[in-house]
Amino acid sequence: MNYKLTIIFFLKVLHLSMGIDYDGWLNIKMEHSLNCENGKYCNRGTISIKSIRTGTSVIDQITFGRTHIDELKELAEMDGFYSIRTICTSADNKETEFLSSVKAQDFLNSGLSDVISAWVLPSGAVMAINFQVDNSSQALVLGSNNYKIHSNFYLRYVEQAPVPDTASYIQKLEREREAREKGELKDNRSFLAKYWMYIVPIAIFVMISGATNPEQAPQGAR
Amino acid sequence: MGVLSTSIKPNFLGLLKFLNSFNWFIVFFSLINLSVCIYEDQIGKFDWRQTYVGRIKFSQFDTVSTAKKIIVATEENVLAALNLKTGQVVWRHVLESASTGNIQLLHVTDKVVTVSGANPYLVRGWDSTTGVLLWEWSLMLQKDDHAEFSEWWVQHGMLVHMLPVFGSHLEVSMYNLMTGQNRGSTSKLPAIWTNEGCVLSPPYYSCISGSMGSLLLLSLDVTSNAVQIISKPLSQFISTEESSLRPLDANSIQPGFVIGDKKIVLIKNNEFEMLGISVADESASVALVDSTNGPMVLQTWTDDIKGFSLIAHSASTGKEVTEVRCSDPSLRLPEPELAAVICSKTPRELHACRLLVTAADDSLHLMQQAGRVLWTREEALANVVAVEFVDLPVSDLDAAIESEFDQKEAAKMYSSVWAAFSRRLQTQFQQLQTLLQSLQGAETNARDTSTGLVRDYFNLHKIIVLVTDVGKIFGMDNLSGAILWQHYEPSLDPSGAAVFTRRSARHPPHDAYLTIVGKHEETGNGLIISLNPIRGTLVGERSLQLDVQLLQCALLHRADQEKLHALLLLDRDENVQIFPVSAAPLVENMFIYVAEKNTARVQGYALKYDGRSVVAQKTWSLSLGGSEAGHRIVASSAKPASERTHSAGRVLGDRSVLYKYTNPNLVLFVTEGPDAIHKDVVVATCVDAVSGAVIASAAVRRARALPLAVHSDNFLAYVYYNDKHRRTEIGTMELYEGKQRWLEAGAAFSSLRASRAPAVYRAAYVLPAAPRAAAVTHTERSLTDKHVLFALSTGAIVELPWAYLEPRRPVTPTPEHREEGLIPYAPELPLPAEAVINYNRTLHRVSAIYTAPSGLESTSLVLATGLDLFYTRVAPSKTFDLLKDDFDYYLITLVLGALLLATYSTKYFASRKMLKMAWK
Repeated sequence: MNYKLTIIFFLKVLHLSMGIDYDGWLNIKMEHSLNCENGKYCNRGTISIKSIRTGTSVIDQITFGRTHIDELKELAEMDGFYSIRTICTSADNKETEFLSSVKAQDFLNSGLSDVISAWVLPSGAVMAINFQVDNSSQALVLGSNNYKIHSNFYLRYVEQAPVPDTASYIQKLEREREAREKGELKDNRSFLAKYWMYIVPIAIFVMISGATNPEQAPQGAR
Repeated sequence: MGVLSTSIKPNFLGLLKFLNSFNWFIVFFSLINLSVCIYEDQIGKFDWRQTYVGRIKFSQFDTVSTAKKIIVATEENVLAALNLKTGQVVWRHVLESASTGNIQLLHVTDKVVTVSGANPYLVRGWDSTTGVLLWEWSLMLQKDDHAEFSEWWVQHGMLVHMLPVFGSHLEVSMYNLMTGQNRGSTSKLPAIWTNEGCVLSPPYYSCISGSMGSLLLLSLDVTSNAVQIISKPLSQFISTEESSLRPLDANSIQPGFVIGDKKIVLIKNNEFEMLGISVADESASVALVDSTNGPMVLQTWTDDIKGFSLIAHSASTGKEVTEVRCSDPSLRLPEPELAAVICSKTPRELHACRLLVTAADDSLHLMQQAGRVLWTREEALANVVAVEFVDLPVSDLDAAIESEFDQKEAAKMYSSVWAAFSRRLQTQFQQLQTLLQSLQGAETNARDTSTGLVRDYFNLHKIIVLVTDVGKIFGMDNLSGAILWQHYEPSLDPSGAAVFTRRSARHPPHDAYLTIVGKHEETGNGLIISLNPIRGTLVGERSLQLDVQLLQCALLHRADQEKLHALLLLDRDENVQIFPVSAAPLVENMFIYVAEKNTARVQGYALKYDGRSVVAQKTWSLSLGGSEAGHRIVASSAKPASERTHSAGRVLGDRSVLYKYTNPNLVLFVTEGPDAIHKDVVVATCVDAVSGAVIASAAVRRARALPLAVHSDNFLAYVYYNDKHRRTEIGTMELYEGKQRWLEAGAAFSSLRASRAPAVYRAAYVLPAAPRAAAVTHTERSLTDKHVLFALSTGAIVELPWAYLEPRRPVTPTPEHREEGLIPYAPELPLPAEAVINYNRTLHRVSAIYTAPSGLESTSLVLATGLDLFYTRVAPSKTFDLLKDDFDYYLITLVLGALLLATYSTKYFASRKMLKMAWK
């Protein structure tokens, strides 16, 4: 069998390892409804993740044959969806089923490349697995019998929401208080920046009086 | 110069920025000064409040005090006094909404006595004129196994509590009403003949007991010292074996009951006495009241043909009392029940009665003996489930003008210039005619009510359609709060009902069209009610009961030929129904999502017309709580369907633009569930409802979610209770595309072709109050600032600018932040008293706040529902497009006139001077 390995490293270790309380492996089984002999869904491949925290994944997918492409084209003609069912198994042996779809036409146009993102809750459970079409790829070159699926897998974490930041606010207040105790902050703005609101009206006044004067001025000269 | 240019900006934030560049303390104080509050003389000008008490449970006339009142206790755990003449609330006490506030007994003498709660019970005495609490004592039952069957009444200044243990015995205790001292110990009366069908008619406890064929009617005076059971075979009273007991209504003066909905039996001197008066209708409410000529039996019911009926008989003679009689086909009271009756003696020996009648639609009516309704209270409005603001139709003349300038219409009809010209003349002639008519007299217009309901210039006048829990639908004038029409649908279960305006009133000659999708009360199947929201008449599908349960309903975004938006219904078997069926070919690019509340699973469907019918294909499914059980969706919030965002981004301090991520398909889900380490977690997830993609998310540990979430434009907020710090907090998010636009301006956004993730800003703030409802103001073009409205448990509605909730508030502001007008971060949100939009009008138990745009960009209409209704309008950025209320028209006319005068006089003087100069 001609299996292809795609490995994508996704490292944001420092930040993300703080958000996840739990570490373990994940196994995502992908099924689609193309070229299935019996039953609605048949195998498309698997994604296995050794550690949720590091997010290292191994994608193992079938290649599309001519029949797959023909069926996909059929779907695309009627503006249909190419649906992928995923079954996610984790270390505590619970199976969760997800469904996601992309427009068949878009999938063909992108040359069978998609972006798979799995969202992981802080408890380590998978909340969603989304398939989206990669916009950047080029179109499929037809005629061959083996088409690779280019999948990019990202493990995304439900980040911890910030809490009301009282500590830094109090610190800030204390800093301000200290500064006030030390004496007035030195105002190091320029003279113009400090007193522009006095200067501008005077300037306007001068300009207005200057605008009314010109007729008188020549009279004075005479 | 940069500072100057921003200061000139007309809006409020511009002013803020200007001030901010000096000192943000000034900003803080200026905000307080600029916050929304009204002047004393504006009270009631733009707002109204209606107070309700809920469905009546107990009621009694207060005849002792000088100001005649009706004291009521309701299902909403409210104790109130109503003015006998007007029906207005004199005083009102709102008790706890849980079972601790449940009112078990109302007894009115010179004082009002209530028993409330559920083990411990609280016995309270209230002053009937002022409603002041006079005394209170509590009562704790040792065993509360059967406490829900407890019966309470007052007898000779003693509070009697009876606890029946069916098929075994009765436990009777008596307490001093004022002090709570127990007279003796609890007495146990053996009563193996009791069952759940027994009724109490103090002090007698009556049952029908025995085996079939030899049924006995048994009664026992539970307060007497000697146990004396009155027992008679049931066949003496009634022939049929099918029998039921029900007590007499309206605090009857003698113990008695109705057997088998046919015969009235009284208990006199420890003997049964059957009255010769038969019950007129099976559903009739029967009451025994005191009158000048001895006790009188009143009966009332609603007949299908005759309508509301009322008859009275003398209890002693069985003769009909002719003065008290009513049969009114126009009065439709569903299942009327006599709540309280008082008949006073008039000098001429006539019966002058006041009847308080409640109906199945929760309405309360006070009637005279002849059936004339003195006042009506629509207590259904204490439980509003869904609200929709409906635009009024334009007047005929405006409609003619609109159709004249409508591009498509114009192209069709006036191909030549001459046709258009004649049309113009015609319209102007019409205008002249109406002008003359209005000069002739406004009374002609006022007579026809439908002409009064036309759109005003700023579209501030609307109709509010309210769907209530009992199934009654109201149309209300938003300016006055008057009920324009009502429609009672007894089979409607409106929990989770959706209201859609399928056609607005701006498409003459077609009328407005509104559809309510609810459930059938018994079967749970879908129930659709379509009506004209202006007149309240049923139209189109009328009241249509479906034969399946519904999962989801939506409105088709494209209107058909008659400008009607079709209704799409997804039923439990994932079939799609569409109303009207003729609109099926219009279904294209339509997506629906279904969220299961208890399992936190969300599924998306794509709807498509396949040439014959509309089919739904499941395209995505998520499990927001992961695989673990126990996660549930607490709140979900999509953007308002009518929202249009006309501001694409925010200008930053460095003059670059931060573009908003305004995905119209974004839905916020707030889920809550148990966690192994952190007890409870709250997860807020933004899901694109078309593609099923998760856009952003945030998890809060050790918190419990409140069912409050707001979502508008590019921001969203959710409220949770932080268990660790024991306080309510609000989490906010803002989504931005970044400094560059993803799509060209004006290009259509497609959820299915978007793989880029927006930048998410998050923050959390402490909300120093307990919120009950939240909403965000809604204006026509979303150019005005957004404010968030919080209804607090204190009864206030607070208006909070989004600028305070913004996640981008910096802890240490840089000059650029100041320039942009960002308020420096403070963990606690200010809730100043000036921001309370309902000033001193406390609102009890606010359940929801609804906002709607008006024709003025500055103004948003607000309706708060709950026990009370409160309507007002808010202007988040002040009324920049409207002259102030106190605008001095006199002064400006005076000044203009004076200036004009001065101009001409100076001209005259100048010419004179010139003449003089010339002569020199």
